[in-house]
Amino acid sequence: MKLAVFVSDYRNTVETLERLKPEKLGIILVGNGVYHATVKEKGNASPLLEKSADFYALSEDLETRGLSSSHVNSKVKVVNYGDVVDLLFNNYEKTAWL
Amino acid sequence: MATTKLGFIVQRPPYKSENPKLALTHAIASQSVEIYLKDGDLVTADVAFVGDGVLNCLKNQKAMDIYALSSTESHLKNCLLLDLNVYVCKEDLGKLGLSENDIVMDAEEFGADMKVNVVPFDEISKMMEGMNHLLFF
Repeated sequence: MKLAVFVSDYRNTVETLERLKPEKLGIILVGNGVYHATVKEKGNASPLLEKSADFYALSEDLETRGLSSSHVNSKVKVVNYGDVVDLLFNNYEKTAWL
Repeated sequence: MATTKLGFIVQRPPYKSENPKLALTHAIASQSVEIYLKDGDLVTADVAFVGDGVLNCLKNQKAMDIYALSSTESHLKNCLLLDLNVYVCKEDLGKLGLSENDIVMDAEEFGADMKVNVVPFDEISKMMEGMNHLLFF
């Protein structure tokens, strides 16, 4: 299964993601999920970014929160709404929202 | 003559829900209740950002440009304009890899004299002890 997961929270989503084992996993950080891409808690990147997955963060949600691409971890690609639609249609079969 | 002291404690990050912004709108609104008070009575409001709540204070928020929403940053600046005491937990800022350079520290463009106080949690704790009512958001 090719699964795209929207992560919209900064807390309480990592454990759920641990249980998902699709053949291809895309993690799209939206809403407060974008903090996973930017915050270095105690100097460390979010444990979410240790997953074997392709990571994306929605630029609109970054900018709303006063964050820019320069804050974003190098593992994460910054995308806009149009890019997300393309990803869902072209790269993944199913989606989940955490 | 009595002063009622309100302490608003913001512990959640912004925008996912309306909750953190409500702390600020309530704190601001608390300053407009004078018409319901007796002469000499007063309501004061202090606002403290702790835990993930410190993320509300990041500067350059573009909520108005993107979502046509007034930003939490602008609400924070309005708090300063109304001379509310605003505290940000120093330890929690550091824990999230942030510093005073990353957050709103004043609202000079609004004409506010007050500045944000980045303080250890102990100081926020003392502030909380001095309040008549604490409201957590």
